[in-house]
Amino acid sequence: MTDRIGEVIQVYTTRFLAQSDNLLNPPYFGSFVRAESQGMSIYGLVFNVYETSIDPNRRAMAFGIEREELLKQQPQIAEFLKVEFEAAVIGFNDAGHIRAYLPPFPPRIHSFVYPCSKQEVLDLTEDLEFIRSINSLPGLPVEELVAASIRLAYGERGSDRNFLVRAGQEIAQLLKDEYEKARSIIRRISDGR
Amino acid sequence: MVDRQKRIGKLISGSLLSGLEAKLSEDVNVEDISVGRLVVVDGKENKFFCLLKDVSLQATNEDILLNPPSDDFAKQVHAGINTFYKLSIQPMLVMPQNPMEDDRPRPSTTVPPHFSNVCEATEKDVSLIFGKPDKNSPEIGSPIFMDVPVCLNLEKFCKRSNAIFGKSGSGKSVLTRMVLGYLIKSDLAVNLIFDMHGEYGWSATNESTGIDDPSLRQLLGSKVAIFTVDGDSPLYRRVRPDYDVQIPYSAIEIADLELAAGELGLTQAGIETMYRMSDKWGEEKWLSRFLEMDTDDFPAVVEDLKVNEQALGKLHRCLIRLKKLPFIRKEVADDTVERIMGEIQAGRHIVFQFGRYNSMLAYILVANILTRRLHKLYIDKTDFARAECIEGPKPLIITIEEAHKFLDPQVARQTTFGTIAREMRKYNMVLLLIDQRPSGIDDEVLSQVGTRIVGELGDERDINAVLTGLPNQGTLKILINNLEPRQFLLTGFALPMPVVIDAKNYSSFCDEVSIGSGIILDAVKQKKVFDDLNAKVYGDDQIVFD
Repeated sequence: MTDRIGEVIQVYTTRFLAQSDNLLNPPYFGSFVRAESQGMSIYGLVFNVYETSIDPNRRAMAFGIEREELLKQQPQIAEFLKVEFEAAVIGFNDAGHIRAYLPPFPPRIHSFVYPCSKQEVLDLTEDLEFIRSINSLPGLPVEELVAASIRLAYGERGSDRNFLVRAGQEIAQLLKDEYEKARSIIRRISDGR
Repeated sequence: MVDRQKRIGKLISGSLLSGLEAKLSEDVNVEDISVGRLVVVDGKENKFFCLLKDVSLQATNEDILLNPPSDDFAKQVHAGINTFYKLSIQPMLVMPQNPMEDDRPRPSTTVPPHFSNVCEATEKDVSLIFGKPDKNSPEIGSPIFMDVPVCLNLEKFCKRSNAIFGKSGSGKSVLTRMVLGYLIKSDLAVNLIFDMHGEYGWSATNESTGIDDPSLRQLLGSKVAIFTVDGDSPLYRRVRPDYDVQIPYSAIEIADLELAAGELGLTQAGIETMYRMSDKWGEEKWLSRFLEMDTDDFPAVVEDLKVNEQALGKLHRCLIRLKKLPFIRKEVADDTVERIMGEIQAGRHIVFQFGRYNSMLAYILVANILTRRLHKLYIDKTDFARAECIEGPKPLIITIEEAHKFLDPQVARQTTFGTIAREMRKYNMVLLLIDQRPSGIDDEVLSQVGTRIVGELGDERDINAVLTGLPNQGTLKILINNLEPRQFLLTGFALPMPVVIDAKNYSSFCDEVSIGSGIILDAVKQKKVFDDLNAKVYGDDQIVFD
């Protein structure tokens, strides 16, 4: 497929790590991606994107030149860099039905990763169950991630205010005992109006 | 008839004693909910009819109160989750969901299950509770925010003393006129109305329009007789009263004067002196004899009665005020009480008017003297009827305005009115108390009041007094506090449950009770057209027709 954006290089039940296909267009934080594996689509939410040296023993160093200019002067540098992104697993496609919970197994290493289509984003965010999944995973920047993904889904829905209110209510309900956390997420999505 | 139930919430907690609590549905605007509304809780097998008594703001989380959401979006999002509205409702009556023909609403003795739906009462519900209007249970208004009749069961109403309370401007007089009109129309009891302010005779001025509304005589014609102490009053230019009342001095008892002590300025010493005179000169003669005296005669009296001369002089100055009331005379041609009794037996209703003599003194004296004698007559007739096993005198409802003047805790135990209020309908006599200061009425009397119709009241003490002896006082108090002009809380014997109503429109009342209303109203209209024409042609010049 031509719109491929990466390849899975490490997997857990709840998350996977993929290497981006190119340095120029890494996936956005909070965007929805799909890993194709064993005839199944496994959906993830990008929560961490980073660029690093391909050699773990060698760190990139500062040249004091603008990145564009540097890559023009020394194009080989690009060969030593890679972009990787981590995605939290939020659901899978089971015989044509999108399920907003963990798949029975993670995608396999070397599966390809694609961005989700508009329809997939709509289906995944319809019942807002993914917010609960994200909130329960340890080590994620929950507030930022939830806000970013909701803003994106809101955009895909043509700025449907009802969706935003529904999402806000789901957050308020989920984080009933953590009012401050709920409040900060709600403030972030409210800015997106 | 729109009869789709609108769900407004779900039951979450509460008890029969303290009332139930429901969470308001998110899709209902809290500003559309108002206290006093009738609501229905749909239980499993029963419908619970309840009164909405309070609405409150609630939060599930303390933090949200400390850091309230700042924008509308956040408010909207938290609504129903971190913040919600709680409805407090009081269960009153219960009825099976699928009632059989003879099922009537009965008092609620249990509560509906958790999360039962709370709905607005429909028109069908209201008519289930309050019945359909007919001659003996006329419509007197509709529950607030609804357009369904609330009917007053007059058969029950007549069986106890009742009261209509409300501060001036609350629409009390108009409602009283309607209640009296329906009572007269129903003929369930005979009415004697002490009409201090001249509102129940031919016409009464409408406060909002300034135009005269037809009153009882005009509406009900010869069923109503007008008695007056002031036959020359301009009130009667158009319609002559049926009877000019005169009261002989001999009919005035010391107890009557004691009741008017405040108005006459009597002191305790004065009252003692009166008793001395009465003992010495005879119960029926002392007053006329004393009033005929002048100061020169006093030394002999002092000598004779062994009383203080100053007290005597003061008493004379007080009692001489009776002479300013021309209807109180030494000799009278006719006995008013016998007349009243005759009219009552003939089934005519009596409006007793005071014309220009509407001072408290005249009112208290006349009402008290007549009622005392009527009461005696009624006791005799009732006892006689019982002994002979025949039908007793017709039930009588005596309407008194400024009721607190007769039923003050200090005097209520001695006055006839106090006795009538306490003994209920033993002797076929009950009272209809009209008052704007219920706190001035004796508690014992208040607790005997069967049906209370309460309009707007300003004073906390009055509100507490009105609630004396009623269950669910807390709920009713909230309802009274929220009354607007022309809204009334109805509670007591003649109603299955308390209800707040918008009083019926007076003109539709007139259309309903009026005999040959068309003719009379046309005549009134014609007269108005004629008056207007006169005013146009002759300006302010007064034209008098003989």
